[in-house]
Amino acid sequence: MSGFETNARLAEVLADVFSLPVDQIVPGLTKADVGNWDSLKQMDLVMSLEKEFGIALEIEDIVRMDSVDNVIRVLESKGVDLGA
Amino acid sequence: MELEGAVVLVTGGAKGLGLAIATHLQGQGAQLIVADLDAESLGALPESIEGHVLDVTCPDDARAMVKEVAERHGRIDILVNNAGVIHSEPMVNILNPAEMMHDYDRFRNSITANLDSVFIMTAATVEQMVLRRTKGVIVNISSISASGNEGQTAYSAAKAGVNAMTVTWSKELGRFGIRCNAVAPGFIGTGSTHKALSDTIIEHIQSKTPLRRLGHAVEVAKAVTALIDNDFMNGAVLNVNGGLTI
Repeated sequence: MSGFETNARLAEVLADVFSLPVDQIVPGLTKADVGNWDSLKQMDLVMSLEKEFGIALEIEDIVRMDSVDNVIRVLESKGVDLGA
Repeated sequence: MELEGAVVLVTGGAKGLGLAIATHLQGQGAQLIVADLDAESLGALPESIEGHVLDVTCPDDARAMVKEVAERHGRIDILVNNAGVIHSEPMVNILNPAEMMHDYDRFRNSITANLDSVFIMTAATVEQMVLRRTKGVIVNISSISASGNEGQTAYSAAKAGVNAMTVTWSKELGRFGIRCNAVAPGFIGTGSTHKALSDTIIEHIQSKTPLRRLGHAVEVAKAVTALIDNDFMNGAVLNVNGGLTI
């Protein structure tokens, strides 16, 4: 699986959870930038990421995911290959 | 959800309606854990049902017990919030002018026993379900009183609150695969009904019920089973009242 494909999958998940266009999903995007990124959306994100990438996220991971950058870091720490 | 092998926690399950629910679910192959304040009744349970003495209005005790049960069994699949106490008291008692109005402490106590307890047990159980990724089921035992029973201000308010929490949780917890439903029994021929109501009132209720009788505890238990079994039922408040409210 190519990195581009994996990144596209992540962007699709984030865009779907936060109801944003895919092209707005950029690494610098933070919780503060997304109006509806609240605790319920955070759990939607967790369930979607777990399903999409076949991983199990711990509480510390969930708390850490407050930006696209940090979502990427958490996924990489779980062995998900997001490519270059 | 299949009941065979499911780990089920029933509150107030040592006697009466709760015991009927616990026994019925066990008969479908579930592993039963009962939490009840009544140590004596717990002691009378068959060995196949695991009993725990618990005050379901105490958040710390509830959380500790639920965590311990989830760790030992690996999960809790189903919580049946049955524990509660019927409280009847008129808003105005003109025959007692010195203390004419409904007592606030008794109002508060009824809300704690019938509403807070459901919140406390659900919070403790859902925490374990979410942490363990258990796609579980919550079944709350509501009541026909939720639509307002004369002489039951606190109990009615508590049960209406239970219905509201049921719907809220069904929306909020669905993302985790956790379903939440309620059963709202009408007048069931249990000891607590006969204790709370006079024979005259019971006869009146029967005459107003299309089926002309009180319900049986097992009929409530069967409704609980139906809500557990059907994986697309979520946010439902299922009336089991012989048609009294139609």
